[in-house]
Amino acid sequence: LPTAVTPLPPGTHLLFAQAGKIGHLPLEGSSMKKEEAKTLLHVPEKVIIGLAFDCVDKMVYWTDISEPSIGRASLHGGEPTTIIRQDLGSPEGLAVDHLGRNLFWTDSYLDRIEVSKLDGTQRRVLFETHLVNPRGIVVDPVRGNLYWTDWDRDNPKIETSYMDGRNRRILAQDNLGLPNGLTFDPFSSQLCWVDAGTHRAECLHPERPGSHRALEGLQYPFAVTSHGKNLYYTDWKTNSVIAMDLAISKETDAFHPHKQTRPYGITMALAQCPQGHNYCSVN
Amino acid sequence: DSTAGTNSDCQPCPCPGGSSCAVVPKTKEVVCTNCPTGTTGKRCELCDDGYFGDPLGSNGPVRLCRLCQCNDNIDPNAVGNCNRLTGECLKCIYNTAGFYCDRCKEGFFGNPLAPNPADKCKACSCNPYGTMRQQSNCNSVTGQCECLPHVSGRDCSACDPGFYNLHSGQGCERCDCHALGSTN
Repeated sequence: LPTAVTPLPPGTHLLFAQAGKIGHLPLEGSSMKKEEAKTLLHVPEKVIIGLAFDCVDKMVYWTDISEPSIGRASLHGGEPTTIIRQDLGSPEGLAVDHLGRNLFWTDSYLDRIEVSKLDGTQRRVLFETHLVNPRGIVVDPVRGNLYWTDWDRDNPKIETSYMDGRNRRILAQDNLGLPNGLTFDPFSSQLCWVDAGTHRAECLHPERPGSHRALEGLQYPFAVTSHGKNLYYTDWKTNSVIAMDLAISKETDAFHPHKQTRPYGITMALAQCPQGHNYCSVN
Repeated sequence: DSTAGTNSDCQPCPCPGGSSCAVVPKTKEVVCTNCPTGTTGKRCELCDDGYFGDPLGSNGPVRLCRLCQCNDNIDPNAVGNCNRLTGECLKCIYNTAGFYCDRCKEGFFGNPLAPNPADKCKACSCNPYGTMRQQSNCNSVTGQCECLPHVSGRDCSACDPGFYNLHSGQGCERCDCHALGSTN
């Protein structure tokens, strides 16, 4: 029962937050090895919401709304460290640009989107207007794009910009309810989000108009991550991690953690980084 | 330690309701692993997100964990709605504020406890010409703005009878009409 991280075995894992802890669930192909699920990190005094993974240094990053703070720990083992504790309100979604070595997060109290280096230095506000309840955030480092959700009940939307904040625009705003989480799959270049208001998952290729499709019947999705044709989302109704197969548009499996409280962020811990480079990584 | 061979090798978990615990290998610290609903922490001494209280009385009398009490003026889709020890509401909506989201926030007035969100807190919208120091604040219940001399109306947008020139910004001026040549 770790208050520091016990090293993870090689392979692909799902990491998910349950307020005072981060759990890990190994994947074999697309199936969840539920009997091997364990607690990765125990931090009962924190309320961990967002999770992101850096595939280069094998580090997990999180947002904590109790202090509030942003922290990280190595999956090779070791103690967690806090990288940002100043000037945060309610940090929620978190994304790692593993090529440019940057960290992006949403803050639903200060109504901001911010960026810093992975050690918390060179911090900068990217956006602080037209944000009401920003939550999920992801990057596509190869194309240099940022995507986020805002579950503003009066005007929910999915937005995008370049990673430097230029070219901000709305990607979707019709037929949305409470878009809580989103994920970008680097292999298929597909962006998917989950909506707790419409109970749907929706996917599109940002550069291909007309590629939009939706999956019905989700319960209360909070966060989502993707791996190949599979989506994995945390669910507030059943307090579980649910696997969905995009190819057959169906829920295929569910993992119910021993501790029955709401699960928050979820992220894929890949054994290897996806291929690719971007301009920021050389400049 | 079940291998030492004494009567006290295995001790009951120091957790509420006899729930399970585990020992951290490095530090030998005992941590509860299955705290009752709404509670968390090494000894189940904290409340989960969305709850508040002091279940073991670590900071005073014992208060069981209860759901945030914010007068329906929080959003169930938000996280961190109240301070988990004190219960102070942290994310009031519908223009409400206060420890329990039980008053209108600065610049708004009305009944924060009205059942319909549209009836809760409305903007003061004080008329800048008729208001003291161009204030945008008003009485939180009646909505009365603080009017300049001889200015009236809830929002200070009218002159008293017999007065004119609201736009002076100094209060309304007496009409000074001649009693003989005027109808009133």
